[in-house]
Amino acid sequence: MVLEATMICIDNSEWMRNGDYSPSRFQAQADAVNLICGAKTQSNPENTVGVLTMAGKGVRVLVTPTSDLGKILACMHGLEIGGEMNLAAGIQVAQLALKHRQNKKQQQRIIVFAGSPIKHDKKSLEMIGRKLKKNSVALDIVNFGEDDEGKMEKLEALLAAVNNNDTSHIVHVSAGPNALSDVLMSTPIFTGDGEGGSGFAAAAAAAAAAGGVSGFEFGVDPNLDPELALALRVSMEEERARQEAAAKKAAEEASKQEKGGEEQSSSQEATMTEHASGGTSEADNKKNDLSDDDNALLQQALAMSMDEPASSHDLQDMEMPDVAADDPELALALQLSVQDSTKDSSSQTDMTSWGRSK
Amino acid sequence: MSAAESTTAIQRSQVDLLDFIDWSGVECLNQSSSHSLSNALKQGYREDEGLNLESDADEQLLIYVPFTQVIKLHAIVIKGSEEEGPKTVKLFTNKEHMGFSNVNDFPPSDTAVLSPDNLKGRPVVLKYVKFQNVRSLTIFIEDNQSDSETTKIQMIALYGSTVETTDMKGLKKIEEH
Repeated sequence: MVLEATMICIDNSEWMRNGDYSPSRFQAQADAVNLICGAKTQSNPENTVGVLTMAGKGVRVLVTPTSDLGKILACMHGLEIGGEMNLAAGIQVAQLALKHRQNKKQQQRIIVFAGSPIKHDKKSLEMIGRKLKKNSVALDIVNFGEDDEGKMEKLEALLAAVNNNDTSHIVHVSAGPNALSDVLMSTPIFTGDGEGGSGFAAAAAAAAAAGGVSGFEFGVDPNLDPELALALRVSMEEERARQEAAAKKAAEEASKQEKGGEEQSSSQEATMTEHASGGTSEADNKKNDLSDDDNALLQQALAMSMDEPASSHDLQDMEMPDVAADDPELALALQLSVQDSTKDSSSQTDMTSWGRSK
Repeated sequence: MSAAESTTAIQRSQVDLLDFIDWSGVECLNQSSSHSLSNALKQGYREDEGLNLESDADEQLLIYVPFTQVIKLHAIVIKGSEEEGPKTVKLFTNKEHMGFSNVNDFPPSDTAVLSPDNLKGRPVVLKYVKFQNVRSLTIFIEDNQSDSETTKIQMIALYGSTVETTDMKGLKKIEEH
């Protein structure tokens, strides 16, 4: 949340027509500028940002430091590409613009997009750097585009001359599928030395991820819909737990599977009433009917319900045609309990939040 | 005799203005981060000879000192080493946020060229009439004794007296009943 006035120096020279950054170098630069302006103004509402162009007919200040994002975005419109970049003059004009900022309490920062070759020599760049340091102006350099010999060296020398306690940074972005703005988002230029703009950066990264492949579980962004994400996760874990327990009991139940079909069906009734204990009267009747069957049978029934995902699957599939044919009352009970069990998966998650007791 | 005069001048109802410095607004341009202004101004640090204020990119320094109330400035003491101590010192009153580029835009309230004596602790008596109504003081150190790369200052002390003005920070809101 550092209070800062920033001047962004844009390179609009002929070299920016090149398309090695998508869609073109200049467009990539413009996107990056928009993102930076947004991040700066969001990290502190009193921050101001200004923009100037370094190439064309000469260095031209498009907008003086302002906190009005609309003005900044508007001035990026209709910019023409041409000429050669004048780095030294650009930085000096930026320094002047910052000197005359309205709020003298703001820290001064210059962000330079260096896309074309640099014709100044290392000495003069170092002098400029020292002058910036003397006036406590921080400098961020984005090295992209043309990469002729000596360019990186010169920029590193400039950075070394300006740098005071790591407030200045340099970022090298090479051409490739990654957009210039995406690469910048993870750098200290965007994140503001580790605080402030990081919230904006995280949100932008989340939006980018959601727009492309959904990197989140269940396709739901926890930031957007935390309750739905929680519900999905809980039901997924329950299903997993159930299946694990079923796998455990599989070996134990090998012998018990040889029991008679009626006992199976009655125990399945019992299990369904277990599931359906939302407190329906039908379920209660069922339990009373089965009381003579003993706790032992009930235990078996419980074990059976854990046993074989196939049978529990059946429970949810509601396929009990032979059982239903025997007993219409049973069929009704089955239907009710099946309805309840399908409601259960959602009601169980509700229970966690509403605390409804079984 | 002049030495005796200046020391008595200090004693004669002139106080060390350390207590009236508004520390929240103190700034120094072109100071080295490891050797900052506190080493020269703050009580305890300035007496320590090992702790200096040092310049960074070149030998000039611009120090801005606001005060909590209006003061009259009588004399200043600047202590430093013989080679790297400051030589030409310009003082400006009541000018906020000066930069190195506009130090030459208006005349200073006073200029002092420090001699080795001054650097040992002899106070520099200022043109008192120019410093009657001082809310803030800007000290511009233009060069040093031996024209070396950096300027080192061991202590800066300001002597003067206060004008009876209200310290706005001391005002407290009266509770309404």
